[in-house]
Amino acid sequence: MNAILSGLLLGGFYAAVSIGVAISFGMLDIVNIAHPAFILLGSYAAFIGNTVFGIDPILAAIIAMPLFYLLGMLVYQVYYVAFERRDDQSLRGLSFFFGLLFITEVTLVMIFGVDYRLVQASYIGDKLTLGPLELPFRLLVPFLVSMITVVGLQLFLSRSFLGRAIQAVAQDQLALRLMAANPIRIKRIAFGLSIATAALGGAVLIIIQPVEPSIGREYIGRVFAICVLGGLGSFSGMVIAAVTLGVVETLTATLFGPSWSPAVSFGVLLITLAVRPNGILGR
Amino acid sequence: MASSLTVANVDAGYAAVRVLEDVSLRVDAGETVALLGTNGNGKSTLMKCIMGIVRPSAGSITATIDGTAHELIGLSTEAIVDLGIAFVPEGRRLFPKQSVLENLQLGAYRPKARAELQRNLDFCFETFPRLKERKGQLAGSMSGGEQQMLALARALMSAPRILLIDEPSVGLAPLLVSRTIDKIKELKEGFDLTVLMAEQNFTQAIRIADRGYVIVHGRIAFEGESAEALNNNDLIREFYLGA
Repeated sequence: MNAILSGLLLGGFYAAVSIGVAISFGMLDIVNIAHPAFILLGSYAAFIGNTVFGIDPILAAIIAMPLFYLLGMLVYQVYYVAFERRDDQSLRGLSFFFGLLFITEVTLVMIFGVDYRLVQASYIGDKLTLGPLELPFRLLVPFLVSMITVVGLQLFLSRSFLGRAIQAVAQDQLALRLMAANPIRIKRIAFGLSIATAALGGAVLIIIQPVEPSIGREYIGRVFAICVLGGLGSFSGMVIAAVTLGVVETLTATLFGPSWSPAVSFGVLLITLAVRPNGILGR
Repeated sequence: MASSLTVANVDAGYAAVRVLEDVSLRVDAGETVALLGTNGNGKSTLMKCIMGIVRPSAGSITATIDGTAHELIGLSTEAIVDLGIAFVPEGRRLFPKQSVLENLQLGAYRPKARAELQRNLDFCFETFPRLKERKGQLAGSMSGGEQQMLALARALMSAPRILLIDEPSVGLAPLLVSRTIDKIKELKEGFDLTVLMAEQNFTQAIRIADRGYVIVHGRIAFEGESAEALNNNDLIREFYLGA
């Protein structure tokens, strides 16, 4: 029972690190494999805010978000000028993001070293006990932060004119121009948002576990698997996939040992895609 | 207030291929003008020049929106749409993975159209009850006729003053063609629009057009000042009626 519950909370955390990719890969068709590196950048931003200024890691992430947003817009602009405009984004774009991943990782190693870093907050280590159920705050806080972000972004994407344009931009750019919207501007804003969510994702990552610069690589496969499993372009599908993966991984780890959990989670992905090729809620 | 469109001496082409030569036409305020011609004569290219999708090599294109004149050449497509000129392109270009309602909401992206979203939506649903029934359905899963209706409705959601339509009849069954043409007339009157319609279906287009131009090999071959003048023209007989 507690395994299922902590799997559920773990799934919430997976959703937090996958939101950005659900936007960039799911809605903009940009294969940003460097996203986990931006998440780590977020972790270290939270780490600095926490150790140097003594503030809560989540608060530090919120303060860092506008900077991450600008960074995302800049990265998209470079990507657009160098690859997308020339129409050869698929493979070269991939190597661009691969390079970005390594550069970020090496920069972090040079600044912070390869030691594991962690943050202090009053709620880490405590837990909420509800009868037989135990909810560690270390997992509960990331879960809540993640759900608030997902719901907020979902409302923005479905209710605002800008959000609707973001959902449509990858389908037909000329058609979007005919709606009086500039597709490049729309993509730049959306990519900025995607990277801004990495600040929050990084903060919840460092709350859950100590981090070192290369830890992001562990999440590349998982994050893309969650987005594909949920169905590209669907936030609710992504959350369902993240929670499913969290529960399946925790149960496997409890019953058969932790080394089996990646195999089982990718097994779930394969079976789902065999039955529903567009993912759980894919359009 | 009146909105009109003037195309003067436009040349355009793709690389070395010249598609339009010295094309001039005008659409006066409140008129429906048909641009007639068979496939490959430059109708779509002219439409794309007006919308800033293809850049002409010579000439000028002026739109007067509610009394203010704007030179369109050099403006981006989104800037032209923002002035109040809507375009229903060939192939409709809907957002296939968005629902009918989401497509219509995107149509109202233009800042001036946002405030009128609900009113225009009600009008579109009234004109096309089928779209209201299917508002949750994905646009890509609808039939050709329904998609053409949605494309028209989406263009009108931007609250335009001038409407350009490229080949509304293409790919539709004969019965749907005449129904689409009727709807264009209905919408034109409802929104008080100025309309330029490119069409190869001569008999259908002429039912609602006030005037028309026949374009042959990238040149305006005939200018009919009335529907009758077009009907009785030898060129039309030669090209369309095979007589």
